[in-house]
Amino acid sequence: MTSVTYNKKAKKPMQQDVVFPIVNGIILCILMFVTLFPVVNTVAISFNDGIDAVRGGIGLWPRKFSTEAYNTLLSDKLTWNAFGISVARTVITTILNLFFTSMLAFALSRKEYVFRKFITLAVVLTMYVNAGLIPNFLLIHRTLKLSKTFWVYIIPTMFSCFNMIVIRTYIQGLPEALAESARIDGANDMRIFWQIIFPLCTPVLATVALFVAVGSWNQWFDTQLYNGGKKYLHTLQYLLKMKLATSMNTANAANASVDALASQAAAKSTPVTIRCAITVVSALPILLVYPFLQRYFVTGMVLGGVKG
Amino acid sequence: MRKIIAAILALAMILSLCSFAVAEQEPITVTVFRGDPGDQPTEDNKIYKMIEEQFGIKFEIEFLAGDLDETLGTKIAGEDYPDLFDGGNSAEKLINAGALINLLDYINEESTPNLWNHIKDLLPQLVNENGELFIIPNYGINYNAQIQMACNGPAFFIQKQVLAWDNYPQIKTLDQYFDLIERFIAANPTDENGAKYEGFAILCEDWRHFCLINPVQHLMGQPNEGEVYINRTADENGIYAVETFIDKPYAKAYYAKLNEAYNKGLINPDTFTMTYDQYIAKLSAGTVLGMFDQTWDFGTATAALETAGMYKNTYIALPLVYDESYGFGTISEQYLNGAVPNKDRGFGISVNCEYPERMIQLFEALLSDEWQKILQWGIEGEDYYVENGRMLMTQEQYSQRNDATWKMANTALTIWESAPKKQGTQDDGNAWAPADQGENYFALMSDYDKEFLTAYGYLKPADFFNAPCELAPWGEAWQIDKAPIQDDYDKFLLIQDQQLPKIIMSADQAELDTNWDAFVTEIAPYAQIYTDFMQAEVTKLVEQTAE
Amino acid sequence: MTGAATNIKPMQPAKKKSIWKTLWDQKWLMVMSIPVLLYVMLFNYYPLWGWRYAFQNLDISTIKKGADWIGFGNFKWLFNEKYFWLGFRNTLAMSVINLVFGTLASILLAILLNEVRNRGFKRTVQTVTYLPHFLSMVIVVGMAQNMFVSDGPVNQMLLAAKIIDQPVWWLGEGKYFWFLVGLINIWKEVGWNSIIYISTMTSIDPTLYEAAAIDGAGRFQRILNVTLPGIKSTFVVLLIMNIGHLMEAGFELQYLLGNKQVYDFSQTLDVFVLEYGIQNNKYGRAIAAGMFKSVIGIILLFAANFVAKKLDEDTLL
Repeated sequence: MTSVTYNKKAKKPMQQDVVFPIVNGIILCILMFVTLFPVVNTVAISFNDGIDAVRGGIGLWPRKFSTEAYNTLLSDKLTWNAFGISVARTVITTILNLFFTSMLAFALSRKEYVFRKFITLAVVLTMYVNAGLIPNFLLIHRTLKLSKTFWVYIIPTMFSCFNMIVIRTYIQGLPEALAESARIDGANDMRIFWQIIFPLCTPVLATVALFVAVGSWNQWFDTQLYNGGKKYLHTLQYLLKMKLATSMNTANAANASVDALASQAAAKSTPVTIRCAITVVSALPILLVYPFLQRYFVTGMVLGGVKG
Repeated sequence: MRKIIAAILALAMILSLCSFAVAEQEPITVTVFRGDPGDQPTEDNKIYKMIEEQFGIKFEIEFLAGDLDETLGTKIAGEDYPDLFDGGNSAEKLINAGALINLLDYINEESTPNLWNHIKDLLPQLVNENGELFIIPNYGINYNAQIQMACNGPAFFIQKQVLAWDNYPQIKTLDQYFDLIERFIAANPTDENGAKYEGFAILCEDWRHFCLINPVQHLMGQPNEGEVYINRTADENGIYAVETFIDKPYAKAYYAKLNEAYNKGLINPDTFTMTYDQYIAKLSAGTVLGMFDQTWDFGTATAALETAGMYKNTYIALPLVYDESYGFGTISEQYLNGAVPNKDRGFGISVNCEYPERMIQLFEALLSDEWQKILQWGIEGEDYYVENGRMLMTQEQYSQRNDATWKMANTALTIWESAPKKQGTQDDGNAWAPADQGENYFALMSDYDKEFLTAYGYLKPADFFNAPCELAPWGEAWQIDKAPIQDDYDKFLLIQDQQLPKIIMSADQAELDTNWDAFVTEIAPYAQIYTDFMQAEVTKLVEQTAE
Repeated sequence: MTGAATNIKPMQPAKKKSIWKTLWDQKWLMVMSIPVLLYVMLFNYYPLWGWRYAFQNLDISTIKKGADWIGFGNFKWLFNEKYFWLGFRNTLAMSVINLVFGTLASILLAILLNEVRNRGFKRTVQTVTYLPHFLSMVIVVGMAQNMFVSDGPVNQMLLAAKIIDQPVWWLGEGKYFWFLVGLINIWKEVGWNSIIYISTMTSIDPTLYEAAAIDGAGRFQRILNVTLPGIKSTFVVLLIMNIGHLMEAGFELQYLLGNKQVYDFSQTLDVFVLEYGIQNNKYGRAIAAGMFKSVIGIILLFAANFVAKKLDEDTLL
């Protein structure tokens, strides 16, 4: 509602400067072109004939059209299985992460909370201290025995400090009066959070949900570390990583000089078209999340309403 | 009633027999790690199905996805070992970490005759100081005659059209090679589409820098030893003298030649920064006239060129040497070496494996002639046919072997690549590898290639080369594990990677001399450490083999 | 703290409230924070016991039977290694470039988008600019390399525009490397990084814009006086956080885009750790380098937080 009034009222000064919107539009169009080009290029290559694509030089349109790469990928049962795993881990992680993260964010936004400083410090430092690959691996693999299970995707990713701070900052910006009046009415902190604060946080929760979902979706390292041997627990990003590995993988051979026989295996490389096709396949589902969440970004009016 | 009892008894007996048989071949799932990226075989893969039926063994395969050393490191730290463990190019780490069992506890003449015959002659070379063997080489063990159709390893390459343009000359020396490229480019600056030709490409990306740093040894008439030059005749103490070649005057001659080519515009500076993908793209576009490389390294490009029908842009390997004018004497080329057992590469059995005996028996069975035929050729009548005792393939059967999707459903590639295998010639004269079978090779060769070879009076690409020499007692020196001097070895390589391009791009002779001297000074301490280490290792290997 | 509580519950006299009563009052806040506290203790702090390896000669051969204590040996090795310091320098340089230009670019994009009135156009731009975030680095770097080769489109454009008269060897000269990395990072992440600013801008009270408009403020004044203050706290918090992350300049991009010609400029600490620690399995060194990074990061974090406090800005801690 308010945004409509805002538009109406804002029109007056806007009519005075017509130049800015035009310049702005042009800048953004250029930016769109610059960012879109490589994306379209990737799509174009994915629809090109595999062997022809090796020669390079494909622009915005396939040179020799072929859906071979997609046929290969989508006819593989494992691709669909990986899709299912990716979706499952993303959905579950996002829900759990939002739950724990936002709850802590609320607690730490209360200035009167006795342990506020201590917990904030303890949590923030986790962003900067890292025990390193091996100790973390030993914890999850040996102590918690999570490897070769689906839960290794969920349990270590239930909290994110960065997102906690984003939510906390947002909550701190909300009018204090909201919580205050509820408290006078006898509501406890838990209720204040879930019934009053949480619904007001929709824009920031949408943002954080996007961050968590994308982060979880894009994760491949945990699959490699813990579930590489379980093909039915592979994720789409892991498959992507496998296909892209041919250009990176044999970096490891740096230590050994190479012999024809030893490296016949290294010579087989995934066609560039498959690499591009799996990029598209693995990005598309998560791309659809954003437009869906975008609607929640435009809810500034709720706040305005309360304040007014 | 009796009948019924008899029937029940009979049934019970059959059941108990069955269960006994089952107990012996109790179905198991074996976990496998491969130190290479790869694709999962399909669920109904016909060869794995046969293996499962006969041995009751299913495989759960993990391929490399990230960094090999990082992956192995975490697996070692967590003792998270699969049953069959192929550590790829870093497999010695598994041995050093004690992750593998000594196979010689299981291999002997009586219980595993195939494996025993496979390795018995090479045993002195393959075992470590304690006489233990952890990995059976996955390649390089020949039966009967070694077959060499083409040069699979390092060589100088040139587009066939360049030779054809000059009326099929014999190119034997470095100078002839660059002279020909220069003349060709002068006459044909661009291809038919107007794309500029690039005279000589040098791939420098990461471990593929052998294209930059390895050629000199070959120009001096030595097969591939990696980064050292080894005198192939022993001195009076039986020592084969080892030296690094990259810092010697005979190496300077090569880089001076490249500098000359660079200043003539035959080498593009981007060659020093290009990635492997860019390199393959350039080769596939047919605009690079020559390079030093190894045949398998640009197989993708060759396939792309052939599919596009650009046969004249495909490459032929040439064994170049320095001519006498360089003052290094008369050098006879020796690019091809005897079959090198791929030491410490392939499957090992991990200490976590619950059924090592069964794994050994699996490899034993797979090494039989029947299974080797199935693994390498496929099923008779489906994947190949036999005519007058010769194993043959139709064009279709042959080309589907390059189809990734087909391979995942119809071959046991993943296991085969890491398992011990027979190479060379079968007892009945057929080749073990379909690609080595003469009839297949010639029948499926393109007309352009036939014409090209005929013009030279050759039958196969390998005819450009001298016959393989006998393998030296140390094998090939590049196989030696450099872990004990890793830091210095890395520096040794890094200095070459950084300085050699600078030398090649020198503006004139004076700058070249300065750059070269700086390079030699900088690398000297590391070259010394490396030489000493390699000398000791080579001597040790020679002694071990002599025993 | 009791003061704050007093504000909320003015009914009760502040002075008489005991600590136990306060704790009891805050029981729900504790319930809400304890799960995460336990979580970080287990997943973040417990593995820090692994830092002891920084003082051991842990590598592939000692990992199972137990490594020996070698005091500060790993640190000594690091501090004597030329490429450790080059890595340190390059990390810092690339992080600062990323932080400064990356932040400016994403705020600028957010502001430009905020000024767009057409909902459809706004959403389209937003969606398109964030697409590159989903491309793999391998693919992005592959494209960048094709753009920047000597005879590639970038040089051709610059030559045509007569800005240069010789093709520039972008990929082979160290001095360009940091900025190439900055450019690619901005290109890839600007849309993604602006999301947080865009979503913050939605929480700005629209009446503030209306008031400013009524006061006769022009578009730039509104941006200056309403939009920027509206995102200030987000900006400051992110800035403090990112300053603490200056030791992380990324890894994949430099590893892929770099080559031996620009090695002295492309080596970051993370690449260093991979090449000199992980790949040759000198875990002790790798963990020592990681510790060093953590310590520097925490120092930077506290310094930034301190400065922000002095300037009376919102702080992280």
